[in-house]
Amino acid sequence: MILTANKLILLKISILQTLYMVSLSTLLTSLFGVPLGVLLVITRKGHILENKILYRVLGIVINATRSIPFPIFIVFVIPLTRFIVGTSIGSTAVIVPLTLAAIVFMARLTETSLLEVPFGVIEAAQSLGASRWQIVWKVLLPEAKPGLTMAVTITIITLISYSAMAGTVGGGGVGDLAIRYGYQRYQTDIMFVTVIILLLFVQAIQVVGDYLVRRFTRK
Amino acid sequence: MALIEVRGLTKTFDLKGPDQVEALVEVNLDIEVGEIFGVIGLSGAGKSTFIRCLNRLEVPTSGTVVVDGRDLSGLGREELRGFRRNMGMIFQAFNLLSSRTVAGNVAFSLEVAGKSQSEIKKRVSELLDMVGLVDKAKAYPAQLSGGQKQRVGIARALANNPKILLSDEATSSLDPQTTSSILALIEDLKNRLGLTVILITHEMKVITEICDRVAVMESGHVVELGPVLEVFSNPKHPTTKKFVDAVHSSYERFMVPEFKVKGKLVRILFMGDITTEPLVYNLIKRFNVEPNILQANLDVIKKNQTTGTLIMDLSGDPADLEKALTYMSSLNLVFEVLK
Repeated sequence: MILTANKLILLKISILQTLYMVSLSTLLTSLFGVPLGVLLVITRKGHILENKILYRVLGIVINATRSIPFPIFIVFVIPLTRFIVGTSIGSTAVIVPLTLAAIVFMARLTETSLLEVPFGVIEAAQSLGASRWQIVWKVLLPEAKPGLTMAVTITIITLISYSAMAGTVGGGGVGDLAIRYGYQRYQTDIMFVTVIILLLFVQAIQVVGDYLVRRFTRK
Repeated sequence: MALIEVRGLTKTFDLKGPDQVEALVEVNLDIEVGEIFGVIGLSGAGKSTFIRCLNRLEVPTSGTVVVDGRDLSGLGREELRGFRRNMGMIFQAFNLLSSRTVAGNVAFSLEVAGKSQSEIKKRVSELLDMVGLVDKAKAYPAQLSGGQKQRVGIARALANNPKILLSDEATSSLDPQTTSSILALIEDLKNRLGLTVILITHEMKVITEICDRVAVMESGHVVELGPVLEVFSNPKHPTTKKFVDAVHSSYERFMVPEFKVKGKLVRILFMGDITTEPLVYNLIKRFNVEPNILQANLDVIKKNQTTGTLIMDLSGDPADLEKALTYMSSLNLVFEVLK
C-alpha cells in the first residue's frame, strides 16, 4: 500500500491540525480545569473554604456540561465560539468546545485526585499556621501530583478522541480525515494509516504519562 | 496564672437528623507552664476533640480556651495563624507530606512562617540533628519507619520554636520500644527547650512514663484529675481503675472477694520514699505476725518516683496483730484492712 503524494500532504496537514487542537486545548484545559477541581474540593463541607452554594452551583454546571454529547455540545456553544474566536469554523474554533468540555472533565478528575490527599495532612499544615493559599499550593497540589499527572494524561487522550468530531465544524485533524476519506470515500489506506497514527499518539501519551506518574509517586 | 485555662469547654457534633454527640461537656482545667499534661481515655471519650480545641482545629460549641492570656475565640484568621506557630502538634498518623523529603517536610513549617531560604537551610539541619535524623534528610517519608516518621513530625512541629507541643496519640501506632524512644525524645526536648506538653493517649504506660499530671476522660467529662503518682497509686473512678488494671492486673479487685482470710487482709499503698522501709521484715521480727503476701507490685512513674501496692494476709495473735497495725499507722503509708 503506497499513499499518493496528495494523500501524504492531507495526512501531514491533518496531523498538524490534531497536534494544534489537542495541545492548545490541553494547555487551556489544565489552566482552568485544575483550579476548578481545587474549588470543588475546598468548598466542600468541613474543608478549607467551605461554601455550600458555590459547591452546589459548580456541581450542577459541571454535570450539565458533561451530560451533553460532544457533537451536540460543539453546535450548542457556537455563539460563544464566535464571540471568542470570531468564527465558528476551523481548527481554532474547535478549541473552544474542546476546551470547555475537557475543563469539566478535568475538574472531576482533579477533584478525585485531590480528595485522595488525607485530610490529616491538611490539618497538620493548619496546625503549623499555613494559610489556605499555602495549603493549596504547598500541600494539596504537590501531594496530588501523581494523580493530577494521570488526570492530564487521560484528558489528552479524551481530547484526541473528541477532536475526531471536529470535522462537524471544519476543524480537520486526523480523526476527521479518517471519517471523511477513510469512511465516507471508502479509502481504506487512509483509514488504516489514520487509525495507526491515532493509536501511536494515544500509546505514546499513555507511556509518557505512566512514566511521569511513577516518577512523581513517593509512596 | 496557668499557661492554658480551659473553662466550660463544650463541643457538640451534629449528626444526621436530630441526633447529636456531646464530645466535650463543660471541661474545666488548667495546664501549667513546663508540665507534661496527659489526657487518657478510651476512643470516643472526647480527648481528641479536647486537644484539637486547644489550637482551634476544632471550634468549641461553647466555653473558652485561654492560652498565655489570650482567648482563642477572639482571634481573627490571621491572628490564629500566627498563634498556631506558637503551638506545635504531632499526630498518630504522622501526617507528613509524602511528596517532600524529610528535610522538605521540616522546611515546610518554616516556609509557611515566611522564613528566608538561608534561614530555612540552617534551621532544618539544626532540627534534624535535634531529632537524630541528619542521615535521613533526603529520604522520603515512605522510606522511613514509624518512629522515624514521628521524629520528622516532632522536628516539623518544633521548627518555629513553639512554647507548647500538642501530641495527638503520637505513639499509638508505634511498637512499645519505639514508643519509649519517642517519649524519651519528647521529655528531653521538653527539658531542653522549656516546652509545655499536652498529650493524649489511651495507654496508661505513656502517662506513667512521662506525664506529670493526668486527666482521665469519659463521655466528654473529665472524671479524674491529679498528679500521675496519686491517680495511678490510688485510682478512684472506675474508668481510671480500668486503665491502671491494664498495666498490672489487680488481685484486690478480682480475687479478694472470694479469698478466705486467715487473719486480716490488708492492702498497703506505697508512694515515694516509703518503699525503702523494710516493712515485712519488721512485721515478722518485731511483732511476731505472719505476713502471707498475696500480691505485690511496684511501678515507676517518670523514672524516679515509685508507687506500689502490697496485699497481705496478716495472721497471728490478735494482740500482736493490733500492735502491727498500730505500727503501720505510724508509718507514712496508706493502708486499708480489706477483710
